[in-house]
Amino acid sequence: MSRSYDRALTVFSPDGHLFQVEYALEAVRKGTCAVGVRGKDVVVLGVEKKSVLQLQDPRTVRKVVMLDDHVCLAFAGLTADGRVLIDKARVECQSHRLTVEDPVTVEYITRHIAGIQQRYTQSGGVRPFGISTLIVGFDPHDTQPRLYQTEPSGIYSAWKANAIGRSSKTVREFLEKNHKDDLTREESIKLTVKSLLEVVQTGAKNIEISVMESYGKVTNLDLPQIEAIVQEIEHEKEAEAERKRSRLAATAAGQAAMSSRATGTPGE
Amino acid sequence: MECSFALTGKDYVLVAADTTSARSIIKMKVDEDKIKTLSPHLLMAYSGEPGDTVQFAEYIERNIRLYHIRNLYPLRPQSAASWIRRALAESLRSRQSYTVNLLVGGFDTADKTPHLYWIDYLGTMATVPFAAHGYGSYFASSLLDRYHNPDGTLEEGLDALRRAIDETAKRLVVSPGKYTVKVVDKDGVRVIDL
Amino acid sequence: MSIMDHNGGSVIAMAGKDCVAIASDLRLGAGAQTIAMNFEKVFPVTDRLYMGLPGLATDVITLREKFRYLTNMFHIKESRPLQPSTFAHLLSSTLYERRFGPYFCEPVLAGLELTPSGTYQPYIAGTDLIGCLNFAKDFIVAGTASDKLFGVAEGLWEPDLGPEDLFETISQTLLNSVDRDAYSGWGAIVHVITADKVVTRTLKGRMD
Repeated sequence: MSRSYDRALTVFSPDGHLFQVEYALEAVRKGTCAVGVRGKDVVVLGVEKKSVLQLQDPRTVRKVVMLDDHVCLAFAGLTADGRVLIDKARVECQSHRLTVEDPVTVEYITRHIAGIQQRYTQSGGVRPFGISTLIVGFDPHDTQPRLYQTEPSGIYSAWKANAIGRSSKTVREFLEKNHKDDLTREESIKLTVKSLLEVVQTGAKNIEISVMESYGKVTNLDLPQIEAIVQEIEHEKEAEAERKRSRLAATAAGQAAMSSRATGTPGE
Repeated sequence: MECSFALTGKDYVLVAADTTSARSIIKMKVDEDKIKTLSPHLLMAYSGEPGDTVQFAEYIERNIRLYHIRNLYPLRPQSAASWIRRALAESLRSRQSYTVNLLVGGFDTADKTPHLYWIDYLGTMATVPFAAHGYGSYFASSLLDRYHNPDGTLEEGLDALRRAIDETAKRLVVSPGKYTVKVVDKDGVRVIDL
Repeated sequence: MSIMDHNGGSVIAMAGKDCVAIASDLRLGAGAQTIAMNFEKVFPVTDRLYMGLPGLATDVITLREKFRYLTNMFHIKESRPLQPSTFAHLLSSTLYERRFGPYFCEPVLAGLELTPSGTYQPYIAGTDLIGCLNFAKDFIVAGTASDKLFGVAEGLWEPDLGPEDLFETISQTLLNSVDRDAYSGWGAIVHVITADKVVTRTLKGRMD
């Protein structure tokens, strides 16, 4: 009996919370931001890249990974936990193909990952995974892009666009304001970058974008491409600000004119 | 009866396997592809106990793919062949072993060389310039001893392969009718119409 | 036909004066059919120890990999040279682990053992497939041509042969023995081990 005490069990607090799970969510909130946007026939993943140290090989730091030909995953939280979860998911992808000949659906692998995450909230001697994931992809023989999210508790849900990790609330609110149905490829990428720019101060060099256009067709944008998009967004912002300024100036001038007319010629 | 052939040439490996799927003396199917593409530059022809063959080949296929996804690059032919051999050798001493014979051909993109391995159900592996399994091997090995050129062009290789297949068709009582032929070189895997 | 004869192949080791030699043929068969003519059955264990593995080819490869692992682990854990006599017992106990489901190989060892005085002494040994060690002062034979090898070696071997004479003796013994064995042949590979180097030569035989 005494053995059950020294185990790190995930147990309820008197008011019904699982503290360990909530702490895991805290770890997610500390992780770098990841954004997923679903367009008409495209789905885009964007992540905030931590700047690598000068002597580090940037290729070995990955936050967007392939689970199979047609499923892509990004995560926020403890990278070490992510690696383990990703490996389990990859094995499941191949195992699923082996047993039923078909590739996994995006929903299936999401459910599987969420299932693993849930298991780690309910058994003794383990702690929950400190990561949330965004899973994107296309189901076999289907043209509908998919976007799912999982959390440390084991919750999973489908989204049109979503963000996880640091400042995800800000980004999500931005997405809520700006997302439209049936975005084109370019619009989806732009929205992803734009939303990331809300929280990534350092701009293009700390943004990584992966685009999936159809079953198994994935492209990772390179730095010049992302820089171009960032530049475009900045130009638009400037133009917008310019317009605002000139409109403001126009109104001010109008008002000044009116008031000067009112005061300047009292005799008429 | 099942036959598979393979040979190396200058910067390529040719792999051929018959397309019949038989149960005892009855042909059940005549368009079965018994050559799996394990990775972009790796081919595996399999023959043996029906059931075992597909089961084992798919197991190998998924694991090689998993390696590719995990590491972002595929196993090199020699490593893949070693791993496959080990899977068979371990299976041999299990309760129910796989009765599968393999020809593993690949192009190593790192040092730009073709590789061919003859592997049998016991887990015996040999590095060879040409190889065959099944009754066809009795004709092919002697024919290719005479006509195989390890530095030959693809056309030369196909000629040698045609000889082996034609001789098998001519002399073997239970010769298969059709073959799938695949080639693997620096550009990857292609199906070839003989 | 025994399972030991399925793939064919033979190995011989001989002791000389301050040197040893070990050689194998190159055939790999499947019954009477020859599959490959480049299948070596002798592998280095250390700089001064080689092991020959005639028998079932799948086990030849498995054992080669297994002993490579075991010797690497020995070097990492013990950080001292692995002596032939030590390896012989590692070999023996590893094979005996599979007493009731053995690897179908009869290993042959040839190496130079470091003596307390700092010189090297010839060491040759063989085991059966379950690891019963057999030491000899002259030669060890194994494989499908072992009966012929016994006879020829008995006739040709003499004590205190130098490296060059030992090479000639082991080569002639092997080549002439495998010529009378349908399951061995297709050339040979010979390693002559002396204290400061190993000389490896590939021989052609009756290539038919």
